[in-house]
Amino acid sequence: MHAVALSKVEKTYFAGQGDVHALGPLSLAIPTGQTLAVVGPSGCGKSTLLRIIAGLDDATGGSVRVADRDVNAPIPDVGIVFQRDLLLDWRNVIDNVMLPAELNKRTDRQTARARAQALLERLGVAEFADRYPWELSGGMRQRVAIARAMLCRPSMLFLDEPFSALDALTRDQMNVILQGVQAGQGVTTLLITHSIQEAVFLSDRVVVMSARPGTVLDDIEVPFPRPRRLSLREDPEFVDIARRIRVHFERAGVLVG
Amino acid sequence: MSADVTQARPLAATAKAAARRRARPGGAVALPLISGIGGLIAWELAVRAMELPPYLLPAPTLVAQVMVEYWGMLMRQLGFTAFAAASGFLIALVLGVVAGAAITASRLVDRMVYPWLVISHAIPKVVVAPLFIVWIGFGLTSEIIFTVVFTFFPIVVNTVTGLKSADLDLLTLVRSMGASPLQSLWKIRIPAALPSIFAGIKISATLAPVGAVIGEFVASNQGLGHMLLQATGSLETPLAFAAVFVISVFGIAIWYLAELVERLSIPWHASQRGTILGA
Ligand SMILES: Nc1ncnc2c1ncn2[C@@H]1O[C@H](COP(=O)(O)OP(=O)(O)O)[C@@H](O)[C@H]1O
Ligand SMILES: [Mg+2]
Repeated sequence: MHAVALSKVEKTYFAGQGDVHALGPLSLAIPTGQTLAVVGPSGCGKSTLLRIIAGLDDATGGSVRVADRDVNAPIPDVGIVFQRDLLLDWRNVIDNVMLPAELNKRTDRQTARARAQALLERLGVAEFADRYPWELSGGMRQRVAIARAMLCRPSMLFLDEPFSALDALTRDQMNVILQGVQAGQGVTTLLITHSIQEAVFLSDRVVVMSARPGTVLDDIEVPFPRPRRLSLREDPEFVDIARRIRVHFERAGVLVG
Repeated sequence: MSADVTQARPLAATAKAAARRRARPGGAVALPLISGIGGLIAWELAVRAMELPPYLLPAPTLVAQVMVEYWGMLMRQLGFTAFAAASGFLIALVLGVVAGAAITASRLVDRMVYPWLVISHAIPKVVVAPLFIVWIGFGLTSEIIFTVVFTFFPIVVNTVTGLKSADLDLLTLVRSMGASPLQSLWKIRIPAALPSIFAGIKISATLAPVGAVIGEFVASNQGLGHMLLQATGSLETPLAFAAVFVISVFGIAIWYLAELVERLSIPWHASQRGTILGA
């Protein structure tokens, strides 16, 4: 059973001065419940790929199927977190988390509110429920963004470089927290990151993309049981996987980004 | 627009400036007060020493005396001016926000109307004030409509800027959450536009008394503008000074009122930011 199935997907941006072949052809299937990490050089089409799967942008070729349906509009059953937290300045934390419940009528307010509270607790930001985003640090804000993405119990979670703007220590902390939130939820997760360590630590599988137009360069299973501890990163097998990914970038002469 | 400037200001610089203000408590109030009182005394002494006639330059004490004497009349005239300014401003606010919304909502309206709005803004409106008598006639209606014209542009321009300022990624995000265009207007675009709209409101609110007074210069037989014209015409300069003083205080009061409404309406905006919590 596949949550996402892409077949020969391509994307060309028709820009003024010349067309940009941004992506593909790329074929990829994500089994339900899997956490897939995508790494690749900057500008190889990772964000484009995410937008296409989410139905926020059209592919110019190939087929995109999510939950066994062709995608041609924003898909409803997904929570998205971007690099910028995109919290609403004019709402406090709890009301920010409630936003998706207000926008889709399927969710009952009362239930959503209780769930929002529970999510904030699980993410360790419950004490800030009445605070405004500008009162919080970057890491705290991103936790709120994750709570917002998870509010309506989406079956899929898309994360586009969610921790890239955070310092290394906060980033490690966020990796552990994200893993905690995912635990036992069976959420199919697409994680785009430029940190090889983060990709391997959080995922069941890593896909390495080539430089633009992005295609699949390598597809690696990550077999470690969960919950994982940060010390796993010193495990020889972990180091091997990380090295295998790094070699791709060294060979291509590009840095991961 | 000015709100953006506030936002763009590095936090560290703002904090430093605040610290400097705190370091000299009262300095921000006491120093201008000292120079102000000093200026008044110098003015008083100069008038007395040179024995200037009051119709040329009245001493501050004489102006104060006249103000007390004519207090009732000044306040009644202020009432007329304030009414015209407030009505004109409120009409301009509604029209300006609606026009701004229309310009943002429709590419066609934007392309066809907005450039002309901006160009016509360059016409000094004082120049066209007399035309209003020709078109609408002498009286309050003319005065109010002139105030509308006088205060309309900052609101339109800032509404358009504000409504266009919403974060594109944020709009994409709410689209993925299933937001309808109306929902994203109501829940994202409008709140995001408020700081900019308030910047326009502050400019227009301070322009409104000016517009009303100019309107009274040309098209009215009441209000402080009319009174000012009459007083100078009959060389009652101390009374003219009193009228100018009342107009000025009124203008300043309006500005503070707009500022207060802004602070109450958008407490989340850059103005009130403080300490950051957590790691
Ligand atoms: N709206 C657009 N119009 C034209 N080109 C675009 C647009 N969005 C992205 N691109 C181009 O497509 C390529 C892939 O972009 P993106 O998916 O953002 O890459 P990544 O997320 O991997 O860094 C880049 O070269 C980028 O310049
Ligand atoms: Mg990207």
